Amino acid sequence: MLGFLILLAVLVPIFAPYNVVQSWNDPGAWTNNPKLAAPEWSEVFTGKHLPRTALMPYNGEPGGFDKVRISFNVSNQVYTTVVLRSSFSFQADAFPSEIKMFMTTVFGNVTGTQIKVFWGRPDGQEIHIFDANPSVRAPYENTFSLTGPTIKDPSYAVYNSIRDWLILKNVTSETEWDALFPRIGGIYQNPPKAQTMLMGKLDHSILDPQTSEVLKGNYSFRIEFNGFTATDDANARAVVYGTVFGLAGTDFEGRDLLVALLWGAPVALAFGIAGALASVLIQTILGAISGWYGGLIDEFVQRTADFYLIIPTLPILILLGILYHLGIVLILIVLVVFGIVGATTKVVRSIVLQVKEEQFIEAARSYGASRGRILFRYILPRVMPYTFALIALTVPAFIFLEASLSFLGLGDPMLPTWGHILGDAYGQSALFASRAFPNGMWWWVFFPAAGIIFTTVAFALLGYAFDKVLNPRLREQ
Amino acid sequence: MGVVRHLTRRAVFLAVTFVIAIYVTVVIANGFGRIDAILKAQIYQDLKQQYARNPAFNRLPPEEQARQFNITYNATVEAQGLNEPFLPKTVRYTVSALLLNLGRATQLHSSDGSPAVSAIIFERLPRSLVLFTVANVVAAVVGIWLGLWMARKALSPFDRGMTVLSVTTFVVPPWVYGILFILVFGFGLKVAPSGGLTSVPPPPPAPLLAAFPPLIAVGLAVAGYLANKHLRTKYRAIGYGVMAAGAAVLVAWVLTPYDYFKDMEWHMVLPAAAVAFSVFGSWSYTTRNLVLQVMDEDFVFAARARGLKERDVLSKYVLRAASPPIVTSLALTLAAAWTGAIITETVFNYPGLGELFFEAISLQDAPVVIGLTTVYALLLVVTVFLLDLTYSLLDPRIKALRR
Repeated sequence: MLGFLILLAVLVPIFAPYNVVQSWNDPGAWTNNPKLAAPEWSEVFTGKHLPRTALMPYNGEPGGFDKVRISFNVSNQVYTTVVLRSSFSFQADAFPSEIKMFMTTVFGNVTGTQIKVFWGRPDGQEIHIFDANPSVRAPYENTFSLTGPTIKDPSYAVYNSIRDWLILKNVTSETEWDALFPRIGGIYQNPPKAQTMLMGKLDHSILDPQTSEVLKGNYSFRIEFNGFTATDDANARAVVYGTVFGLAGTDFEGRDLLVALLWGAPVALAFGIAGALASVLIQTILGAISGWYGGLIDEFVQRTADFYLIIPTLPILILLGILYHLGIVLILIVLVVFGIVGATTKVVRSIVLQVKEEQFIEAARSYGASRGRILFRYILPRVMPYTFALIALTVPAFIFLEASLSFLGLGDPMLPTWGHILGDAYGQSALFASRAFPNGMWWWVFFPAAGIIFTTVAFALLGYAFDKVLNPRLREQ
Repeated sequence: MGVVRHLTRRAVFLAVTFVIAIYVTVVIANGFGRIDAILKAQIYQDLKQQYARNPAFNRLPPEEQARQFNITYNATVEAQGLNEPFLPKTVRYTVSALLLNLGRATQLHSSDGSPAVSAIIFERLPRSLVLFTVANVVAAVVGIWLGLWMARKALSPFDRGMTVLSVTTFVVPPWVYGILFILVFGFGLKVAPSGGLTSVPPPPPAPLLAAFPPLIAVGLAVAGYLANKHLRTKYRAIGYGVMAAGAAVLVAWVLTPYDYFKDMEWHMVLPAAAVAFSVFGSWSYTTRNLVLQVMDEDFVFAARARGLKERDVLSKYVLRAASPPIVTSLALTLAAAWTGAIITETVFNYPGLGELFFEAISLQDAPVVIGLTTVYALLLVVTVFLLDLTYSLLDPRIKALRR
């Protein structure tokens, strides 16, 4: 287990460079991924073939949109028309989560530059879904959601186009549609789910997302761009977002959780080991000093240890976190400071009290070794083996402290640690059953939690193994 | 007089610790004086803006403007107590925190609308107390029982398996198990509610008495069992009767309609299970190791030689001698469980003290955070003191001093 973790910790930084982690905090880097998608293999449980994400890149990239551009001049007025086409094959048993279209456009200062979007279905139907005007010029992208619920999107046009199309095909009537999807001031109060209609079998069942059946086959986009200067141009890409993604799914920003899961391992290991080493070594030395020198020093160290054991550490750490928004290194330092003395000090002191009486100490004393020399050259080496077990057993405590603070939103804000993901997931209600996610967003919480447990259990077993070897009482029984 | 002297010393030490802990909290919560500076700057800014909008003020000569501004500024700062030097102020805050005079919350309020921190805290305190007491008692009973059993079958596959299980479960805090339990039992198997205090909407209210039958049932069963251990065979019917009464109470309770308290208890199952699962390992592992150490002692050998049953040897001789160290080594583990409640309750959306802490952090409600830290420190100190008390009652050597 530990070998696997260390291998992971070494391999991840080599194969996944650090800029992956930096782009973690850049929402623009993840627009091609579906949001809140379960892992791909989870379709084993549902027994359905769930949709993957289909990408249709820009014209000029492999597999991209086909493009035809014509520019012509009629009585001193230039007209430019660009037609972009692409198609994708859809064979899944469930509807995609979202359909989006992105366009870069070049257009002059003439009003009326227009985009027309047509949606072709496998059954030969073509729906003129919406008309829009480009709002930004290249290199920025105009984003159009075909399924999004926001008013800014042209989806209201999408709903109306679908309505007209369904009425034309005698699937529904005006009165039925208006009863199903009431509008107040032109705004849908309970908007239809566009993808279940754009991609459903054309009969009465298409009106209800629960009964609508997926029509499998080739779908196509046809985009017409009409501009009024000779330099006008347009290019488009489209993404049909699936409901499953990768090995570990995605979070609310469409980020691939596998990246964070893999990066969580080296971060947790480094944090846990560094913290455990520092705090156990300091505690060991203090414990040894306390046991070796005795007297007032002993009393002082022991009372401090008692005090440290009793104060409510986590609440105080949380207070510090709120006030100072610490980075991961500072968090580590604060945690070590709060663990200068503790249970280890007491254990080491009791061992030193036994070692003190042994003959080799007496021998060292008899040839005139100083007290400090005896402590560091004779006693500490004797005590060290016991501290290995304690270090291994302290690593989980540090990993969990970091995870707890990150969960509460007080950890390092940039690093995607396991606790940080859990905190994000909790903040986005991943642990509540909703209609869309009757089992919560289980992938979002399960894997980071499993990662933490796996790592800490590995160290607990290591510590237990050390304990068995070093603690003769346990071994002989 | 050993016990009294020992307890007095501990009480004094714990009281001093408590005071220092509260003082540290107050100093940190006030940002080492930084918060005062921020507040002063804010008052300065607010006054400047207020005066800039005042035409009458702007007509005054500049010296007069400055004079008036300073008078108002100083008066406001004085009124909010920001001129008080930092040190005496923290002392004052500490004293009022120690007197449980916790002030008013800035954002949160109790369910009946009171902004007093003590009202908010004491509304939620019983919920946390019940949840964590039940969970820890269950964990302790199960853990000690398992530990004894493991020690009896030392080195068997059962012992090895349970040791590994204990060692690996107790390093993981309850909230992580909470997450897994919600996924597995709440969502996957749907056997228990995944969170909250009650269902939404809550079932019909019930008198407070309705909350106790399960406790009474368990109490009767334990009483009957213990009585039978000390009664001769022909009187055992009494014990069985008491146990049957317990069972009857339980059945009657199950048959009564589903009320508010049943719903509440039902919602406590998963959080309590998560806490118990992460705590029982330390009880069983410690019990096993200490019992194995004590089993080598001569008096145990003597007890066996007298032909006592293995069961009696274990419960009357071994466990008795091993219990003081078990209690000490676990005193602080148990006390630390209080602060672990912060995330456990948040995960289960259980409106106790921990969840309150989380809310107070999210809303940056400093008086509530300070008040809660005070209550946590108090709970820790009281728990440790109670354990000290138990220890001194259990330890035959301290008892001997009293006689």
